[in-house]
Amino acid sequence: MRAAVLRYRVMAYVTGVVLVVLCFVGIPLQIAGHPAVANDVGVVHGILYIIYLVCAWQLARGLGLAAKPTVIMLLAGTVPIMTFIVERWVTRRFINPALSGQAQPTVPVR
Amino acid sequence: MENAGPANAAAAEAPTPDGPVWHFLVRPRWLGWHLLMVVSFWGMLWLGDWQFHRALAGNGLSWAYTFEWPLFAVFAVVFWAKTIRDEFRIRRGEMPDPREVAAEAERLPAGVTGRVQAAPVQAGAGSPDEEDDEELSAYNAYLARLNAEVKDHGRWHGLR
Repeated sequence: MRAAVLRYRVMAYVTGVVLVVLCFVGIPLQIAGHPAVANDVGVVHGILYIIYLVCAWQLARGLGLAAKPTVIMLLAGTVPIMTFIVERWVTRRFINPALSGQAQPTVPVR
Repeated sequence: MENAGPANAAAAEAPTPDGPVWHFLVRPRWLGWHLLMVVSFWGMLWLGDWQFHRALAGNGLSWAYTFEWPLFAVFAVVFWAKTIRDEFRIRRGEMPDPREVAAEAERLPAGVTGRVQAAPVQAGAGSPDEEDDEELSAYNAYLARLNAEVKDHGRWHGLR
């Protein structure tokens, strides 16, 4: 479970950063007449997004999420900045409750 | 047959007051989901086809997307199938409803879940005069939690 959370977090941030670069650096450069950055970063994001989909899907299944939050998680990888927001929301709303119930606490809970 | 009442439904279908379990699939909300699925599936295949023709026309970048779009289409179908399978399980009572579990988790204070509270305290529960010892009961809750975790091990097994 913790491994699935870690995989999801890493991919959420990596995919998110690449998408931000694509949208706020690559696209302006493309408009300015230098399409190389957008092309390369676009392909990289495409590949990363597939990995992100698999990681997010595995975590959603592990947490037993309903369809709606799962779709939000999966589509977040296509909207700039959204992965960061959704990652925080998923952590607060689903991951923390699940971990506090499943994993051994470092300190006994009172 | 489609209008068969609960009495006529097969036992395996676990009839509810609303009829056989699968009837939820033809409710408006679910029909909307099915429609969205069909449209997005064909839409993604169409996009893949479009990229394929662009790639043939000499756009090397399009080769990546030629394979990516069909992959997304397949993924959507897998997602759809698993969601329906889960819904069947929830309605047959084989699986807790994630929406209810999430709602319950939100009502309880942080760090406490229904699962832990429900778990029996097995390891050496104290004598009655120790019951209100806060530290001991915290420790017992901790042991119960470990016990519950081992019991649920199978559920997370695939993820480790």
